[in-house]
Amino acid sequence: MPLVRRGSSETAAPRLDASTLTAALAGGSIDERWTAARAAAELPNGLALLSDALSREADPRVREAIFTSIARTRIPESAAALLPYLHSDDASLRAGALDALRAMPEATAPHLPGLLTDKDADVRVLACELVRNQPVGEANRLLRPILATESQANVCGAAVEVAAEVGGPDLLPLLAECAGRFPDDPFLGFAIQVASDRIGSQASNRG
Amino acid sequence: MVFTEAKRYYVERRIAERMAATSIDSFPAYFAFLRSEIRDEVEHIINAFTVNETYFYREDHQLECLTKDLLRERIQEKRRGDAIRIWSAPCSTGEEPYSIAIWLLENWSEVDNFNIEIVGSDIDTRVLGAASAGIFGKRALMRLPPDLVARYFEQLDDERWLILDDLRQSVQFSRVNLVETRQTRPQGQFDVIFCRNVLIYFDDESRRVAAENLYDNLLPGAFICLGHTESMSRISPLFEVCRYSDAIVYRRPREMKP
Repeated sequence: MPLVRRGSSETAAPRLDASTLTAALAGGSIDERWTAARAAAELPNGLALLSDALSREADPRVREAIFTSIARTRIPESAAALLPYLHSDDASLRAGALDALRAMPEATAPHLPGLLTDKDADVRVLACELVRNQPVGEANRLLRPILATESQANVCGAAVEVAAEVGGPDLLPLLAECAGRFPDDPFLGFAIQVASDRIGSQASNRG
Repeated sequence: MVFTEAKRYYVERRIAERMAATSIDSFPAYFAFLRSEIRDEVEHIINAFTVNETYFYREDHQLECLTKDLLRERIQEKRRGDAIRIWSAPCSTGEEPYSIAIWLLENWSEVDNFNIEIVGSDIDTRVLGAASAGIFGKRALMRLPPDLVARYFEQLDDERWLILDDLRQSVQFSRVNLVETRQTRPQGQFDVIFCRNVLIYFDDESRRVAAENLYDNLLPGAFICLGHTESMSRISPLFEVCRYSDAIVYRRPREMKP
């Protein structure tokens, strides 16, 4: 039979210390930086190392590992370290930061009120996406002021999409109010109608 | 099976899948069809809701893809007698790794030219015990043609079949949590990984860590097959999408551009 059975082909990697990881992140090959970035989340000062590495890193694979490791640290400071990248002109950095923030909803939560009122409308759009991963009650609370007062149609559109998924009946009057602010935007009107219908039907299904 | 309100989406999605599969477009009509117990629909919907329940030759279009496309590409960079390593993770009670073994023996003309290693891993030691024991019931064998059952299994009684000792001895089983790098790394690197219907149950952080672990467990240019409802593109940008006639799979790039 051509099927063979062997033992494990590799042994577990040795634990890497802080100085080795620091050196690897600063000047190692791509593979060394990738490995160090993946291991750094377990160091006590891992977040500082990773934040510093992210500011210099150009390789997309290593960046991805850094984003994941920062997400693994799961504290508000980890989310804070990623917030500046939501303003980046580099789409891959913006997307990487967004995905990492999405992966640590509890750490991201304290920053959401600020993100949802950021002066950059593009950041507010991204922040709406982060609301989606919050507990339903909190998500509804965060969506209310956007639906009530947001002046940018794109931001409202992002909020409406999230509302369609997690929104409760309390949002229905605010959705109508939002539609009223943009009478000349047929897409937003359509999206709000779909969201309202969905919320209404879910509410009636639940009795 | 109990599904709380939090699992509403899970339930809705599986019902929607079955409605699509049976070409029924209203729930009352589907429910009537289900209750009529025709065309094995009860069995189909139970399968859709169970996690550990699996069977031989499940999603065999991926096995077609394995021999027709994936291994054909992998052996381009190998010499006769080299190892080809295939990982089934999670392997549950062994149906998948044994299916791969039988499929290769039956369908791959190059099977004698390489040393094929098949590893099955799971986090659950009970299912690993069952996989090593290699005893299966009727439901697990339902997709296998009778001649294959006769050739690769010994019937123990009316309800149980024992897979041949040669096959049991040729698949290696190990306990692995896909999120634990210290557990995935010792498995080494593979030419093809089957990682079906597990990442969907992880949270975002665990999914990212698992994807990076799986990346490390693939040789450059090697492939990973997910379940048909899963997409690696939604989890991680590390992999290339490869579209073949029988399946969409993902590949670790040979080299990442700086």
